[in-house]
Amino acid sequence: MTDNLPSMTDADSCLSDSQLEVLKKQYIREGEYVTEQTRFNYSWGLIKSKNRREQTQGVLLLTDIYREVPDRRRECLFYLALGHFKLGNYNDARKFNEALLEYEPNNHQAHALRQEIEDRVAKEGYIGMAIVGGVAAVGTVILASLLKRR
Amino acid sequence: MSDSHSSSETVATLKLLLIGSSGTGKSSLLMRFVDGVFLAPDEISATIGVDFKVKVIDVEGKKYKLTIWDTAGQERFRTLTSSYYRGAQGVILVYDVSNRDSFNDLQTWFNELDTYCSSKEVVRMIVGNKVDKESSREVSRQEGQEFARKLQTLFVECSAKTKLGVQQAFDELVQQIIDTPSLWQKQAPTNVRLQPNAETAEYSGCAC
Repeated sequence: MTDNLPSMTDADSCLSDSQLEVLKKQYIREGEYVTEQTRFNYSWGLIKSKNRREQTQGVLLLTDIYREVPDRRRECLFYLALGHFKLGNYNDARKFNEALLEYEPNNHQAHALRQEIEDRVAKEGYIGMAIVGGVAAVGTVILASLLKRR
Repeated sequence: MSDSHSSSETVATLKLLLIGSSGTGKSSLLMRFVDGVFLAPDEISATIGVDFKVKVIDVEGKKYKLTIWDTAGQERFRTLTSSYYRGAQGVILVYDVSNRDSFNDLQTWFNELDTYCSSKEVVRMIVGNKVDKESSREVSRQEGQEFARKLQTLFVECSAKTKLGVQQAFDELVQQIIDTPSLWQKQAPTNVRLQPNAETAEYSGCAC
């Protein structure tokens, strides 16, 4: 299964606590003079986390870098797409990934991620439809029984 | 060795890592080996962070699943890529024979490998790519060979473009891993430490 999902295999393999701690410490230590590299490293570590709060923090940090440092645009777009994907914000994931593809139409990592996003959306769509379908079926039964009583 | 599409009953999963400076053709090597294709430089984007591909191969009737991690060569991803050394059984250091800087960078890559991949058993291979650019060659085969001998690594020259030597490179690497059962039968983790960037090297603490 994971054979076909390279970017998710990476994004889902979180750093050890101590590894993330190294990145965090450096981020804190540099204080107001924090370099974009340090910010980027830390946000990358956060996005790889299993913890939703850390993932969100990573996305926020990356969004800042994306706004402030045009030179980091491509990697920010890619990891923002991954981060939003992990958070379940598929529309945002799609938006950032498509923006990357606009700059780099041949980027195969972005193409693979696009596939992953669409697959996930389709899969959750089916689940949603199944639920809706189930509710509709129950509704029909209830409706039928109400009609009978009349 | 031959290809196989079936991933059932593999003897072991082997993790291989591609490292080396930006533009040496790591992704192209991987694409040639796994997909059998070569894309022109303008059709391929610099790798963001890390990418990977999977290939199942047959060696003496046994199936091995290769997971090959293709790391970004750009300096900005250096801290990130260092986290991918964990658990690797084979590491390929790539340089471009038509670019001397990429060859000179090998020592740095090798030092990094020593730092993050403490197991001496991990199979190392130096690969000189782009031999199709013979007319603009800047590093002789002999020079590459000598450097590999000095660092006690395997050595292959190849071209992802013409596919010359690519299969041989992976075959040799995998064969040596298989010949070192302690590397993969226990699937023992190797020690990995994540360090801050070189640019802030005064920070000496490492918690890992």
